Order: sequence, then C-alpha cells, then structure tokens
Amino acid sequence: MSRLISFIFRRTIQMLFTLVIIATIIFLMFRLMPGDMSASMVDPSISAEARQQIVERYGLDQSLWIQYTTFMKGIVQFDFGNSFYYKQPAIDILLDKLPATLVLMFTAMIFAYGIGIFGGAWMAWNRGSKRETTGVAVALIFRSAPTFWVGIMAIYLFSVVLGWFPSSGMRSAGYIADTNFQVFFSLDFLKHLILPTIVAGVFFLATPLLIMRNTMLEVMGEDFIEFARAKGLPERVILYRHAARNALLPVVTAGALFIGSAIGGQVLIEYVFSWPGLGREMVLAAQRHDYPVAQASFIILAALIMFMNLVADLFYSYLDPRITYN
Amino acid sequence: MKIVKWFVLFISIALILGACSSNSDSNSDPDSSGEVTEHGESVPEVRIFSSLPEANQVNYEAAKMIETEWEALGVSVDNRPTEFNTLVSIIYGDDHDYDAYTIGWGGRVDRIDPDMFIHSIFHSSNAGPGGNNTTGFMNDEYDVLADAQREEMDPAARQSLVHQAQEILAVEAPLLTLYSRLLVHAYNNERFTNMTIMAGEGMYNEWTPVRAEPLTDDKMLRIGSQFDLDTVNPVGANSTYEWRNMRLIYDKLVRLNPEIEVEPAAAESWDVVDDNTVDVKIRPGMLFHDGVPVTAEDVKFTYDYFIDWEIAYFMSFLEVIESVELMDEDTVRFNLKRPYAPLINVTFAQIPIIPKHIWENIVEEEGLAHPDEYLNEEAIGSGPFKLEQWRRGEELRTSTNRDFYEDIKIDGFIYRIYAQPEAVMTALETGDIDMNAEQFIPAHIQRAEEVSHLNVLEAGDIGYQYLSFNMRKPPFDDFAFRQAIAHTIDYDLILDAHLQGYGLAGGAGLVISPQNEFWFNANVDRPQFDPEKARQILSEAGYTWDDEGKLRFPLQ
Repeated sequence: MSRLISFIFRRTIQMLFTLVIIATIIFLMFRLMPGDMSASMVDPSISAEARQQIVERYGLDQSLWIQYTTFMKGIVQFDFGNSFYYKQPAIDILLDKLPATLVLMFTAMIFAYGIGIFGGAWMAWNRGSKRETTGVAVALIFRSAPTFWVGIMAIYLFSVVLGWFPSSGMRSAGYIADTNFQVFFSLDFLKHLILPTIVAGVFFLATPLLIMRNTMLEVMGEDFIEFARAKGLPERVILYRHAARNALLPVVTAGALFIGSAIGGQVLIEYVFSWPGLGREMVLAAQRHDYPVAQASFIILAALIMFMNLVADLFYSYLDPRITYN
Repeated sequence: MKIVKWFVLFISIALILGACSSNSDSNSDPDSSGEVTEHGESVPEVRIFSSLPEANQVNYEAAKMIETEWEALGVSVDNRPTEFNTLVSIIYGDDHDYDAYTIGWGGRVDRIDPDMFIHSIFHSSNAGPGGNNTTGFMNDEYDVLADAQREEMDPAARQSLVHQAQEILAVEAPLLTLYSRLLVHAYNNERFTNMTIMAGEGMYNEWTPVRAEPLTDDKMLRIGSQFDLDTVNPVGANSTYEWRNMRLIYDKLVRLNPEIEVEPAAAESWDVVDDNTVDVKIRPGMLFHDGVPVTAEDVKFTYDYFIDWEIAYFMSFLEVIESVELMDEDTVRFNLKRPYAPLINVTFAQIPIIPKHIWENIVEEEGLAHPDEYLNEEAIGSGPFKLEQWRRGEELRTSTNRDFYEDIKIDGFIYRIYAQPEAVMTALETGDIDMNAEQFIPAHIQRAEEVSHLNVLEAGDIGYQYLSFNMRKPPFDDFAFRQAIAHTIDYDLILDAHLQGYGLAGGAGLVISPQNEFWFNANVDRPQFDPEKARQILSEAGYTWDDEGKLRFPLQ
C-alpha cells in the first residue's frame, strides 16, 4: 500500500512539473499568433484611443514577463483571468459549458465502449465468419466517414424526413426547467441527446471494438484458455470471464485517454447538432484571440488527460494483479 | 436528355479554354510596335489581403479573380487569404503594411445615416494608425464636404453635400465596392403574419416582434440565429448581434421606422433650439420592467454614464455631446460641442435608456473595474420585451412588457442559437423556429421557397464588401493607376457566379447603397469592367510594358 502512495506522489510531482511547462508553452503560443486581440474585442469602427484604453485595462500593454508572472500566479489560485470577449471570469464560462459536453461524451462513450467491448470479444470468438467481417467493415466505415457528414445525414433522415428526433440543441425552444436536475434529466433532454450520442458513438466505436478483437485473438491462443476448455467450462464463461477480462487492459488505457480528451468535445458533433458545449467554445476562443478562455481550456484539457493516465495506471493493478508499482 | 447536357458542358469547357488561350496570346506581345521603348521603374508586387474561404467564400473568390486580372495587366500579385482578426489588425495596424485588401462593412441601422460611410472612413483626420480611413485617402476638397454634411442640420442641403461627396469617390476610386448581399429571410406562414422586413436590417429588426400577429394560440415568436451572444449587459454589448436583442429590452429616445424615418419612442417630442442645442421631452407614464417609473433623470443619467465610462461601442455617437441638462421634470437638454446632424437619427436611436436606480452604484457594490463586467442577469429596461432567461450558447427568452406604450400581439420571443446556417435552415423546415435572424446563404433561398409553410421576404443591404488600397504608397497613390484598376473588376460576374444573383453589383466608390434612397446619388457614372480600357488609361498616363509584359511606371 505504501508503495502505491509513493507511486501516486511521484506521479503527481511529475504532473505538476509537466503542467508548468505546458502552461508556459500555451502562454507563448497564443502570443505568437498573428494579429492582436483588440481586433476581435472591439468593433473595427471604434477609435484608436478607445482601443488603446481596452488594451491597457487588460494589461496587454505590459511586458511579456509581467504578463507571464501574472498568468502563472493566477493559475495557482485557479484564476485564469477575465475573458476578453465575455468580460466574465474565463473559468466561469468554461464551467458553464462543461456539463453539456461531458453528458454527451459520456453517453457516447458508454455506447461505444459497451458495444465495443462485448462486440469485439464476440467478433474474436467468431473469427473468420461473415458476421465478423461485416462488423469490422461497418465499424471502419463509420470511423472513416466524416462525422459532420454522418451527422447531417442522420439529421436529414431522423429529424426532417421521419421526424423522430429534434434536429439540434439540447432542449426544445422555450423549455423551462423547474430544477437544476431537470436541466439535464428530462424526457425533452433525452430526446435531444439520442441522435448526437449515436452519431458520436458510431464514430468512437471502432477503437474499442478493434482493440478488443485483436487482444482477444492473442489471449485466446494462450494456455489458460486451453485449460479452461479442458475443464469443460461453458463457452460463454470462457469467453467473458476468462478471455475478455484479460483482453481488457489496452481498452482501459484507450478509454481513460478518451475521457481525458472528451472534455474538448467533438467539435464537429457539437457544430452539426448546435450542441452548446465546450469544444465549440474552445475553437471560438482561439479564433477570437480570447487568450484567457483559450489558455484555461487547454490547461484544463492537459491536466485532465494526465490525470486520466494516472487513473488508468492504477486501474491496471486491479485488472491484472501481476502489475506492481515500483 | 443526358447526352445533351454533357454536350453543352463539353462545348462550354471548350469555349472557356479557347477564350483563355486567345487571351494570353494577345497579351504576350504588347510592345509589338518594333520600336525600342525606354521603361520606367517596375511596378512593385502588390500584396492583397483577402478572406479565408471558410470566413467569406465570395471575397476569397473575388480576390482570386482580381489576381488574375491584375496579372494579365502586368502587375505581380501576392494574394494572401487571411484570418479575419489578423486581417483587421493588419489594416488597422501602425505600419500600414499592405497594398490592397478585401473586407466589408455591416449594414447596421445607424449606418443608414451617411456619416459613417462618408466621414469616418474617408476623412483625412482618420487616416492615422487605428483610424477608420484605412485606405489613407486624403483629399482637401473631400474633407470640406465630409465636415459640412456632418454639421448641416437641413436634410435637403445635407443631401446635396452627400451627393457631391459620392461624385468625388466615384472618380478618385479609393475603394471599389465588390457587391452587397440581398437580405432574404423566411417566416412560418402558418403561425405568424404581418412580418416586417427593412433594408439593411432584414427581418429581425426592432419592428417584427412588436408588430407580428400570431395565427395560433402559441404566441411565442421563435427566432433562429447562428450568432452567440456574449452578454445581456447594454453597456458591455459590442456587436450587432447583441444589439438586436438589447434594443428590444431597452428602449431608446427614438426609433427608425421601416421607412427609415425617425419616430418618437421614449422621447415624446424634441425641439432643435439652435444648431448646438436640442431639447427632448420624455413620454409620460413609462415604467421600467421592475415597475419603477422612467424619468428625465434616467435619461440624463444614461447619457452621462455612457460618456463618463467611455463606452467604446457608442463613443463615436457621443463624443459630440458637451453636456446633458435637466430642464424640468420631463425635459432634457443636449448641449453639443458643434452642430451634429446624426444626433437624432443615430445617437438618439442607439443609446439604450438604463435605470439610474440600478446602475448608479453597480461598480462599487460589485467591485468591478468597469460596468461592462456587470453580469446584469435581470436586464431591467423599459423596452417592449422583458428578459426572462438567458442560457449562454442556447437561447434567450423574453416575455412581452404589457406596460409598453404599444399594443404587442405576441407573448414574447425566443432567440435560439444554432451553430451554423444549415441548422437554422433545418429548424425552419421542421418548424422548430418561426423565422431566421440572419439572411439566408444563397444555397438556402431556393430550398426555403419550396417549403409550403414558409414565406420568403427580401430587402437590400446597406452594408457592402469591398476592395480597397493603401493610398500612402505606390502604385495605389497614383490617380491613373486606380482609375485603370477600377476597370478590372467584373462586378456582374461576382454577383452572378458567387451570389447566384442574390445581391447588388458593386462599383467604384459605391459606399452609399442604392437601397438607401434618400442619400444615394443615382447620377454618378462609374467605371465598368473593361480590361482594354484599363490598359488604355495606363498607356495614356505614360505607363509602359516591358518585354516580359510587366507593367512599368511612367519615366520621371
């Protein structure tokens, strides 16, 4: 146990060190971008003095070093500064949009990994059959087709022609939620969630499906499977309890990394379905030269990916007791 | 049938190729007179900053057309499609490091007044870094006219000055308008009627929600937009998109009606005492959304507040105001630094009246650096609609202000935000929204016309997209060179090929749209597309072409 704690401790120190480097790179990156932010903040028809005034108010006339130290000090206190565009704290803007993205990404992930893990195992078991080939082909088609195109087609078929699902947004126009709970857990919201979940889900599906299938094929050639067979265990028990569990490791890594990057959302999914999430906000922030929002989102993204990596490492020992932390 | 189609396609391709090759033949020997000509210096390579195709496809294509024409004329071109914010910072930058650029001015309602397009963007006093005269046009005769129209309070006399200014612009060609769009909108004819469309504003103007009549029991007007709002704070709003919503929540002294005439709003009447003094009488009995009466004091407070805090978005309309005085219970006097014709139809029509009892101490109470940081969740105004809820990135919902001095038929409006034009079009088709806030892209116009529950309305734009130059350095500092260049833009082709005809063709110095009937000067001759004429003008001005067909300046 103490080994585990010292492992977590060492990894946390490493993470902090990496974050400082990332923050520095992000800070410099946005300032090296061509064009300055005052162009996006103010109407071009505004006088030069008014523009100058705004530049001073946001401290953009100060030296790069002073701006950098202010920025780093802010991060420690979880303060990323005021958004140039919204004139509100950047972190508030992001937290406001985060739930929408997380709900969509998690449902899409459950969809993709649920089908992927069981489907992958099943496909390996039925290796060489027509059904397996079809499964691989379908997964690869959805992986390769541009998501926005699949999205537009899905909207056209299910919203415009069939009228089963709403075409975009998270809620119907004028929907009034009585409680915060209702904002995300209502029939209206679920109806809006289904289409983007499926479109995102079929796109993500190929990764867990194919990883699972490939590792399963390896596992199935190992001795303990032979033994299980020799013991006379039913096929289903061998497949899911013995083989699948051992084939899960790489899928868990992929899944953990997926959660980390999911915070950035699927920009194209959010764009096609007008989903008011974080992914679009990040793109807009970069376009608007809204440094505080862009910096905050990239740093949070980096931190989350690193954190999820750590979680995946820890989860390994649960799945495979042979792994220890030295 | 199919064979015929392919045949036509084949023939047209053959013709186009043929036309191209014959063109290059005639250009290859411009100096075939046999005599040895002495040449001046080479015309330097010209850098055009244009748009990225995803930001503005038409400008991107137009810049490519322009590049081809200028290369054919013997001018080397470095065409650089540029991201919008970068483009703006280049043309507003300190060092004026560009030769030509394409960009546009939006058709905001305050730009129906000619001051912005005549004075701001061409007066020599604005030619410095950050100034709106990015072209660097400096013309004494023009400056006199631009100043005079601003101070002329008599509309007829002002009209004549604005007309003269347009004549100079057509000849000097400091800017070539490439095109302006047609504003085409659609609404659900099964749910609403009596929609208003205005030149420059389209259907989401301040009259549509006030005058629309519901045909069903659901009286909520749902408007679909592709632009997110950044704030519901009228002091912090800095784009047209916020403004279109804010002005329905906050009342102003006057409104411009669909015929673009000034109508009283919160002001019952006004009296021009002399050229520098205007008295405004406040309409009695108005209430803010929280039930507090609107008084002359609120009006004075509003103007003082906007001026004291130097609210950048409105500063150009306000800097002329010397002071605002409270004359009696319901009269406010505006003292001006100098006569300013746009005071009533621009300034009064723009500034939102904010309640003194809310804003007076907001900065101290909330610990803000500037009132534009105030969240203003309640958004208490005195306009025709009350803010009910704003969900960032999703929608803004209002209810009708039943105390408002006009009879409004709808129960309120919902402004829904979509990520892209396709989503707005789909929402119109499925009936999720009742109208679109921004005009259709050309591809959607026909689609909308085929939907039986949609009625399509159109109006002209008063904004425009243009090509302009840096007149501070060669070659665009030369009058003859600009004259020739004015003949190299195929305005009709841009309109037909890239806007599918949904717009108006551009022209040299065409800054006042023909849609803006009162101020537009219809009696101006503008250069037409004619590359041969361009060569002739250059030739007459002493320009020559060297052996490689490159353009040379006249010998000094």
